[in-house]
Amino acid sequence: MMFKTIKHRFQVMRAVAFVTFKEWSAYRSHSMVSIFVGPVYFLVQYYIWNSVYSGESSINGMTLPQMLTYFCATLLINYLTMDFADWNLQMLIRTGKFITFSLRPVNHMFFALSQKVGHRVLGLLFECIPCFLIFYLVFDINVLPANAFYAVLSIAMAFLMNFFINYSIGMTAFWMVQSSSIRNIFNLCAQVFSGAAIPLVFFPRTLQLASFFLPFQYTAFVPAMVYTGSYTLADVTLTIPQVLLLQLLAVIVAGAVCRLLYAVSLKHFTGVGA
Amino acid sequence: MRRLLRIYRVCVMANLATAISYRMNFILNCLITLIGNVLFPLVTVIIYQSNASFAGWTFHEALLIQAVFILSTACASLLFNGIMWSTMSHVVEGSLEVLLIKPAPGLFLLLAQAFNIESIGLLAGGLAIFGYALGGVGGMTLMTWLLFLLLFAAGLLVMLGVVLIVAAISFKWVANSRLPEMFESVKAFGRYPGTIFPKMVVAISSFIFPVSMIAFFPASALIGRWEGYYVAAILPCLLFAGFGIWLYNRMLHSYKSAGG
Repeated sequence: MMFKTIKHRFQVMRAVAFVTFKEWSAYRSHSMVSIFVGPVYFLVQYYIWNSVYSGESSINGMTLPQMLTYFCATLLINYLTMDFADWNLQMLIRTGKFITFSLRPVNHMFFALSQKVGHRVLGLLFECIPCFLIFYLVFDINVLPANAFYAVLSIAMAFLMNFFINYSIGMTAFWMVQSSSIRNIFNLCAQVFSGAAIPLVFFPRTLQLASFFLPFQYTAFVPAMVYTGSYTLADVTLTIPQVLLLQLLAVIVAGAVCRLLYAVSLKHFTGVGA
Repeated sequence: MRRLLRIYRVCVMANLATAISYRMNFILNCLITLIGNVLFPLVTVIIYQSNASFAGWTFHEALLIQAVFILSTACASLLFNGIMWSTMSHVVEGSLEVLLIKPAPGLFLLLAQAFNIESIGLLAGGLAIFGYALGGVGGMTLMTWLLFLLLFAAGLLVMLGVVLIVAAISFKWVANSRLPEMFESVKAFGRYPGTIFPKMVVAISSFIFPVSMIAFFPASALIGRWEGYYVAAILPCLLFAGFGIWLYNRMLHSYKSAGG
């Protein structure tokens, strides 16, 4: 029975992901913008950090090559894990279109996750792989993961974590019709505390410690460090399997909170027509 | 001219009324842009806190460049950035003719409707950082202030040029909301001291795509660290904005639609 349910879910996910992939393939140039934006963004970082490291061999325990690899890794991981589930859900609630999902034999949360799978497969083909090749061949950066298996595992968990966070934020629209401000606040925090702008080891120690209890580092900093093969934060050094376990725990908690919020939100939702 | 000013005032009032219709959302968005500004120079702050630096630039000097960048972004967002988004939306929905049949120039109407009061938070944050950065630098005279204002205005022309070029491209490259990202990424070269980039990049960012004029040139001029070619770079800025206006109007004239 359980196997049958899992098989059915997999089939639904595959179908939704395939349709989403086909739909977004029509706008593949949208994704291909990253082939320009990613390397330009990296070029700016390249010159900034080259200037900062002039005369310094290591800052906060990171060397210049490590720093450059870190930025490449965060960019590539972002192409594989980004989503706009929050924006999408808010739009559906505000316009009343969410009501149509109440009639479908699949819950919206699972549907949105399946959509994300299809969308990110497109990201893999038109954003991640081209940028990987540009970083590797043009910039001569060592962007190969230290351990491919661990890296894939960590990116998969970051993929789920990002979805659970964004979907939870999207659910605020069940209470506040126009909640773009809440989304903006969260995006702001995510930008800072995920480690995408600057590695978290550069932060004051208190903030580094706080990062263990916030969901953000599990979406960018953790997968990037797993990708590069070492993890230290707030003077705590963990082995990669330990980091993966910590990330798994965070994903389980985020998933449970998201599922709980979804159940409460559905009870709160009312809609007429769409 | 008076008629156009009256139209502009009416559009601004309408935008204000729209913005405050969701009061909580409006206040929060203003606050977020304000807080976002404090975090904008985060990388610079953290770099200097780690006892590192951009070679040849003190913390306050580097911060001043970023503050000028924020001010420039705030002015652009307050006055004309909306042209880009509304053009994109009109082209996708095929509703631009509603605007074109009105008895006023299309670009002017879009400009009037583009006024975005929520950017006031951005402006306030930028001014606060600007004031803080100024407290730690010297070398300012009346002459450098005048030069700063001149170069800052030229930087705004670059911002206007970018907005119009992106909006013009959206007539052909329809429904690509990531188009502005391409130009935003290039603007990042104007956010840091130009001396950290190689000469080739400096030449391009000064005379071809003059993003250095957005923040680096005005801020450097203000603290007396300017060079002659900064003034010469005003000409490419004028040409850049002129090209943006020409391209936008050309696209507007060639616009065809069957109604939305």
